[in-house]
Amino acid sequence: MTDLIGARNVGARVKRAEDPRILTGRGRYIDDVVLPGMLHGAFLRSTVAHGRLRSIDVSAARELPGVVAVFTGEDMAALSTPAQAGQTIGMTQVPGMKLPAVYGLATDKVRFVGDPIALVVAESRYVAEDALDLIDIDVEMLEPIVTYADALDPAKPPLFDELADNVAYRGEMALGDVDGAFARAARVVTASISVHRHQPVPMEGRGSIGSWDAAEGKMTFYTSTQSPHMVRQLLAPQIGVPMEQIRVLSGDVGGGFGLKNTVFREDVAVAVAAKALERPVKWVEDRMEHLAAGGQAREEMADIEAAVTADGVLLGLRMDNKLNAGAYPSDPFPGAMFVNSLATAFQGPTRIEGLAATSTSVFSNKGTYVSYRGPWATGDFLRERMLDVVARELDLDPLEVRRRNYVVRGEPPLAMLTGQPFAGVTTRECLEQAAAIVDWDGFRRRQAEARRDGRYLGIGVASYLEAAPGPRVPGQLRGGGILGDETTHVWLERDGKVVVVTQQHPHGQGHQTTLAQVVADELGVAFEDVEVRYGDTDVTPYALVATGGSRAATMANGAVLHASRELRQRVLSLAAELFEASAADLEISDGTVAVKGSPATSMPLGELVRVVEEEPGRLPAGTDTELKVTRVFDGGEGGWSGGTHVCEVEVDVETGLVHVDRYVVVEDCGVPVNPAIVEGQIRGGVTQAIGAVLLERSAYGDDGQFLASTFMDYLLPTTTEVPNFEIHHVDTVPLDPDVNFRGVGEGGMIVAPAAITNAIEDALATLGVRVREQHLPPARLLELIGTVPAE
Amino acid sequence: MTSQGGATTSGQAIAVEVNGTERAATVDVRTTLADFLREHLGLTGTHLGCEHGVCGACTVLVDGEPVRSCLMLAVQADGSSVVTVEGLAEGNAMHPVQEAFWESFAFQCGFCTPGFVMSAVALLRENPDADEATVREALSGNLCRCSGYQTIVEGVLAAGRKVREEGAVL
Repeated sequence: MTDLIGARNVGARVKRAEDPRILTGRGRYIDDVVLPGMLHGAFLRSTVAHGRLRSIDVSAARELPGVVAVFTGEDMAALSTPAQAGQTIGMTQVPGMKLPAVYGLATDKVRFVGDPIALVVAESRYVAEDALDLIDIDVEMLEPIVTYADALDPAKPPLFDELADNVAYRGEMALGDVDGAFARAARVVTASISVHRHQPVPMEGRGSIGSWDAAEGKMTFYTSTQSPHMVRQLLAPQIGVPMEQIRVLSGDVGGGFGLKNTVFREDVAVAVAAKALERPVKWVEDRMEHLAAGGQAREEMADIEAAVTADGVLLGLRMDNKLNAGAYPSDPFPGAMFVNSLATAFQGPTRIEGLAATSTSVFSNKGTYVSYRGPWATGDFLRERMLDVVARELDLDPLEVRRRNYVVRGEPPLAMLTGQPFAGVTTRECLEQAAAIVDWDGFRRRQAEARRDGRYLGIGVASYLEAAPGPRVPGQLRGGGILGDETTHVWLERDGKVVVVTQQHPHGQGHQTTLAQVVADELGVAFEDVEVRYGDTDVTPYALVATGGSRAATMANGAVLHASRELRQRVLSLAAELFEASAADLEISDGTVAVKGSPATSMPLGELVRVVEEEPGRLPAGTDTELKVTRVFDGGEGGWSGGTHVCEVEVDVETGLVHVDRYVVVEDCGVPVNPAIVEGQIRGGVTQAIGAVLLERSAYGDDGQFLASTFMDYLLPTTTEVPNFEIHHVDTVPLDPDVNFRGVGEGGMIVAPAAITNAIEDALATLGVRVREQHLPPARLLELIGTVPAE
Repeated sequence: MTSQGGATTSGQAIAVEVNGTERAATVDVRTTLADFLREHLGLTGTHLGCEHGVCGACTVLVDGEPVRSCLMLAVQADGSSVVTVEGLAEGNAMHPVQEAFWESFAFQCGFCTPGFVMSAVALLRENPDADEATVREALSGNLCRCSGYQTIVEGVLAAGRKVREEGAVL
């Protein structure tokens, strides 16, 4: 091991601790869990968008051999309390926010294609699905609410009878000096920009198993989630079991991307069924259920007026923003709330002086809007598209416009309009480095040459800042808010292993690897001797949101770092007593504490635990022998994540096909704990953006019918559409003395849609094509080019 | 479990060699090969990502050929030899493709992984010299939502090198 002395785990491409089990088929995902006596559930789902449920006859289904029970909305009303979505995070107190109470199953109405109407519980999923065919329902069709115009038309029926209309939220906001910005502007540039409905689509869908212990009054709930405590907290009032009596277990999770930071209506129905039947009930959705009812995202638009100087600097803007939230508010993050982020996320690294926004979210007969990887990403998309719109309008190069608009570190303004300081921003460095890597000017020459050959090359650039977690605002404490502080437990075992209990719930991020890397370095133990535990609410620290918001890099690593340091000090002071030496003269390496320069006086850490537990008399009376540490971390000084992406494309104007020729990322996420994992997060995010722009759409017909319920209709990127990525890191500006790891999970998906659409517009600019939307599949590009008439 | 209940179904006896062991069972004729492997044999490494033959997560080898086990009935596998992701490693020694994927940081959440492993094994047994374009084409029927594919492709190419340069046996 001597050759490893001095070698650090942090910053190294340490192979993932998760991979041996995953690669050999020993992962444990939700459908792999089998309990004794377990039954299987299947949901009857609405095939129409909007209707009144006149009657439901489940008698034939109940008689099918193998069927144990059938639950309807009426049963849910009798056995559960409806959810007040968003109550946990205070959304019910927000003026203008409408949050209808919702049961696990439809009671009076069906409100989207896929709305769960009944839950069949049977001896097998096969039989449960057979029984679905035997349920008879009578639905009075109602006019479907599909578009913004439908939802805002007072003549059309409201989704929820108790609400007067289909406005889910309406609010106004003003930041900075808007009128002054417009007064000083040389011109006003307008654009109406929209983002289409698309969705996270983890490869593992949703699924849960409820298991009720009637004797103890305890619910054990297995589920595929990003946040086990959230499930426990939100289920409790609905199923009438105190939160303390609910244990949530979650093992390997096959992707989440924000969607699994939701407690679903199906979860409630499964828990209710398990409790009523006193037998475990499993439900694992199929892909059709997932695409129709698992949760969809985005579908936002903005009418923008931008006050601009003669040389292309954005001074301020007025926005009219809309969001289509679908049929039911998701819990705990109702989709309607995200419309505000179109305004609050607009500024990013720019120097705008004022912003005013009117924001409206609507209910519609579409799937429920859920969080998706950077749920505020449309705000960033609008900014980076507007910068290109301005560039085009003023006949400036988009790169030059960004140089004029992005802040320079240390120069005014020193804070965003929202008050968050621009401390440590490296956007300008990222921009220049990216421009140099792609040889921006050289590309323009190649582009001109290609155009002479009838080929359409384009280049797009976009940058972002993400508060992951953001710099500490002077005078304010970090923490609080819905994401809060991070708690971790770290302790030593007798075999010398270090156990970390994290509140994170990794679902691809490799926290069992990265957290162990930090501990190994701080404590002086081997990486292999650190075990990271998660996924059992009986032992993990409480967190409403476990993994989400790109928070783990700073928050979990920070908590683990400080806990490990405290544990190290405890080890040193105990060893100092045993060795009758000064703690300052001791060191820990290879899992052994020793007197520096005197390796004969040493003790393995496991032996120290044994001595403390079995021979405490060897230590002076009253010695603090605690070797279990709990630390709460508030984020410290924090810092920004951010970066610049540059995309090069070629558009075939005959077919409308876009080929991504090159994709360059220059990133600042502080110190990458494991660069291979960081790069994986970036590539995955950008790939989802490639899908969003070129392929994916949660399409609905005019009648509200869902048109994308299979992978033949909802197209995901494959190996043949995605390029190799070039990822570079800038020199970061540390703000915290100890913790300069910053979140990187969402960035790729936040900024890439703009980089890609900017590149496509750039390729077609000479044809007069102006892109004002995000979804650009071949058929749409041919319309924009004018090859085929627009619908 | 799936063989129980259901008025419209009937059982049929099958014998399948799975990961080198002969397995006999009576299954409903409508039981998919994937459900047979997962629920009857407890081989949960084979994952179901779409159940309509697009995502490739459920890929297994049947008589050496990659097959979507969600689209094949268990009774169709009667008399065949099936290899699943659990059948590749020897004890604690990973298969060269698994080893190469580990070294390449190929995957994140791991749900699609077994399908990619099996598709890659099938490809490399046929063509260990496959270049990047060939690998991308061969894997275009497997979906991954986390990785952006680059590291998976790198992993397959690395496994090919293990065969060529280190004499690894697939």
